[in-house]
Amino acid sequence: MMNRFIIFSILICGISEIFAETCQKPEVIASAYVTEDATILTNVAFTTQFVLKCSNGVKGITLYAEVDGKSLPAARLSSDNKYQNLIKIVVSWTEDVKKARSGDYNIKLYDDERYAAIRKALRNGEDPNSVKPLVVVVLNNPGIYRGPWINSELLAVLLAALVSYSAFSSKFKLLA
Amino acid sequence: MKWHIIFAAFAAFLLVTYAEEEEEAARLLVSKQLLNKYLVENMDIVIKYTVYNVGNAAALEVEITDNSFHPDHFTHVSGELNARIDRVPPYTNVSHIVVVRPRKFGYFNFTSAEVLYRHKEDAGSLQFAASSEPGEAIIVSFRDYDKQFSSHVIDWAAFAVMTLPSLAIPFALWYSSKSKYEKLLKTTKKH
Repeated sequence: MMNRFIIFSILICGISEIFAETCQKPEVIASAYVTEDATILTNVAFTTQFVLKCSNGVKGITLYAEVDGKSLPAARLSSDNKYQNLIKIVVSWTEDVKKARSGDYNIKLYDDERYAAIRKALRNGEDPNSVKPLVVVVLNNPGIYRGPWINSELLAVLLAALVSYSAFSSKFKLLA
Repeated sequence: MKWHIIFAAFAAFLLVTYAEEEEEAARLLVSKQLLNKYLVENMDIVIKYTVYNVGNAAALEVEITDNSFHPDHFTHVSGELNARIDRVPPYTNVSHIVVVRPRKFGYFNFTSAEVLYRHKEDAGSLQFAASSEPGEAIIVSFRDYDKQFSSHVIDWAAFAVMTLPSLAIPFALWYSSKSKYEKLLKTTKKH
């Protein structure tokens, strides 16, 4: 089940501020993998990979990710030097099999400046959602397979009971 | 097999070549855990690397490299076996996840991953750390796993088909004789 979800991404264009170190007009290509078959797992793994392209060719920026209010590090690929003007990062997290929900997960990426603004907002008791992320990517989790709903043994026993019940009841009806 | 409990105990495996107590420096503890109940051939194995910074400064350019999954034995599914986290602040932890699938079954010794990092802003050389080792584990063949855990729907369907004649033939015989007698009963009533 090599399900690689193609996730659609919403781009939020960079602010017109002219800073050398901010990513202008980010474009992102994302791919993700969710361990859907969780019958042998204790935790469901979500791994996403991003290729970020900035129109001004910025490369050396630190990125932070946030999913469901959890802040996660955006790990960079060690080999990303060979990709020109592209920033390749991975964001990954796990969730307990019982707690993992299906549906859309919003992965928000922030650069240094925006991340600092969030932390400032949190310190001052303001709403951190007022800070616009650099890029928002939506990951869809179609649901996790935890095993069959009903055991086939149980189903077989139920069917056998049903057949024998109908047989005996009709027999007694005839004899009565 | 509760891997996560066993391996969390091994989390405190570290190699720091030099670090004085009062010195402002980052110290990393790295754990490598398998988040699986069973390891099965051709099914996902989730590996979680957790980096704890127990030092009083941020660790920079933390590079996690795991060369223990040889392409002959494992298919890389997702996540990166060679990743770099720019900054790990003091007294925090970060995690990184990799998903692989074993190609073969049998015993496999899961060894440690390597971590390189800069323990100070102006550190000249990189620090080396090794993660905890999950140790030797058995990878079950898919056949054995399926035998034990599959829903056996086809097996039960075959069983139902096989029991069908012994139920259906007597029923059909009884039903034909019953309808014959009912027909007779109807004809005798007419007279």
